[in-house]
Amino acid sequence: MAVAAKINPKTAPATSKKNKRGKLERGYMGWFFILPWIIGFLIFKLYPMLSSLVYSFSDYHLFKGISEWGLMNYQKIFSDPDILRAFGVTLKYAFITVPLKLCAALFIAYILNFKIKFVNAFRTAYYIPSILGGSIAIAVLWKSLFRDDGLINSILAVFGIAGPNWLSDPNWALFVISLLRVWQFGSAMVIFLAALKSVPTDLYEAATIDGASKWKQFISITVPMITPVIFYNLITQLVQAFQEFNGPYVITQGGPLNSTTLISLLIYNRAFKTYEMGMSSAMAWVLFIIVMILSLVAFLSQKYWVYYGDEDGRKK
Amino acid sequence: MVTGKSKAFTTFLRYAVLIIVGLIMIYPLLWMVSATFKSNAEIFTNIGLIPYEPTLNGYQNAFNDYGGQINLLQAMLNTFKYVLPKVVFTVGSATLAAYGFGRFHFKGRDLLFAVLMSTLFLPQVVLNVPQYALFTKLGWVDSPFYLALIVPTLFAVDTYFVFMLIQFLRNVPKELDEAAKIDGCNEWGVLTRVLAPMLQPAMVSCALFQFMWSSNDFMGPLLYVKSPALYPATIFVKLSMDADVGFDWNRILAVSLISIIPSLLVFFAAQNQFVDGISAGGVKG
Repeated sequence: MAVAAKINPKTAPATSKKNKRGKLERGYMGWFFILPWIIGFLIFKLYPMLSSLVYSFSDYHLFKGISEWGLMNYQKIFSDPDILRAFGVTLKYAFITVPLKLCAALFIAYILNFKIKFVNAFRTAYYIPSILGGSIAIAVLWKSLFRDDGLINSILAVFGIAGPNWLSDPNWALFVISLLRVWQFGSAMVIFLAALKSVPTDLYEAATIDGASKWKQFISITVPMITPVIFYNLITQLVQAFQEFNGPYVITQGGPLNSTTLISLLIYNRAFKTYEMGMSSAMAWVLFIIVMILSLVAFLSQKYWVYYGDEDGRKK
Repeated sequence: MVTGKSKAFTTFLRYAVLIIVGLIMIYPLLWMVSATFKSNAEIFTNIGLIPYEPTLNGYQNAFNDYGGQINLLQAMLNTFKYVLPKVVFTVGSATLAAYGFGRFHFKGRDLLFAVLMSTLFLPQVVLNVPQYALFTKLGWVDSPFYLALIVPTLFAVDTYFVFMLIQFLRNVPKELDEAAKIDGCNEWGVLTRVLAPMLQPAMVSCALFQFMWSSNDFMGPLLYVKSPALYPATIFVKLSMDADVGFDWNRILAVSLISIIPSLLVFFAAQNQFVDGISAGGVKG
């Protein structure tokens, strides 16, 4: 940024106006720089996306190929109880995980935003699970923690509570998977913390003079001012939650009684264990459409609750 | 209205919450470290951090061969074989794309930018089946050079990083580009000599995140690495668990812990960059 300060901001735009021909060249050059991305998008995104749409209308089997076209996969999705349950479990998982994670993240960020000593140490401690949590190693740890004789139940026993058999109880297993992601609220917290820091302090000063309580200030100043970031976190966490795979794959293998068979696990099993590529493509597309609809609802709802301030540069 | 006493109490309460919640968050990780030094009989009976009878059995067994073809160290080495190229290629290709989008006004840019943004929401699971078919046809599956994992990163497929770099680029004054052009730089020179140094913190953030995410990635190797000799650490950890479940937890936890040591080292060496990277990418979204 020191370099930036040396350049006189008043003269620079004038020279750029002179250089009209140069500007045209520059525009053309843009294609050159995004060319790798365009190629990548066409080969590794658009083509697979469209072919999976095509496959979804076929009975494509990895080794037997295609013998039939039609809507049968979609008919089956809406009538097969296993598949319907997997979608149900996924929705349940997302609606447990995302709100818990965002609330935890906002709550801790809110406290950290006061004048706290050792703020960096606290931030690090809260952030580590986010960095490591996606690894298989941590999923393995989770499995050991929630065994019926694992650490969690041993600690509960100290307080005289007989904990459930978490991983073999269909009522609890999904919650354990969900908790693994809630535990990783650190990255959302860091984003909230940065947003909280950018809320102008004079707003709080004015509210304090008016006698507003801290809670009132939180609800009527803090939350409205950071709605863009709440929105951002909501969307990213939602998209992530609908794709959760590692937790159920490693910790529960979808059990007990399919209570943790999230849709991405079922799609994986159908595609790469029984090789029903057509069927799994159709399920993936239904998942994609659900995610799109939810994102769309979130985007459209923005105008009712997201406050973007006066800078329109921030909004896309 | 707020008396000194209640203010002190509020402050106390804040620290109490931070410390208690923090301990709950971190305790499982500390317990994991201590469990690797406990005997298998002790792991599920001692909830404390100090082993009654410390043992290195877990660590000794952690380095055992698995089916004679792969061991933990080899698996960790395999991880690096694709993580490092992925990091380099991702930073390079994402920087090019960010420069193209951030600094040029070409026809169709807004449309393409919208496409770029929408791929952020595209679930990988939609792409898996055709990508698998494609990579099989190309002979990239189970390639000793991990082609299926590496090659796509040459083409800026991880949109998040492009987006992050574009956000950073917006804060770099355009006057810098103009000044460099007056000094005789062409577009490539502007990028490499002027913008790249300015973008360096953002590029480092991208590299760090890609390092973490690729090291943790499980689905990719699960689909595209088949030979045991090529297994990366994530697959090795999963297999160790499947093989020993219920018997040899100090070994499994030692394997798990060792497998995340590189990530831990990178995190502690660069934690501020992680925090800055994630705040900058997020807040401006």
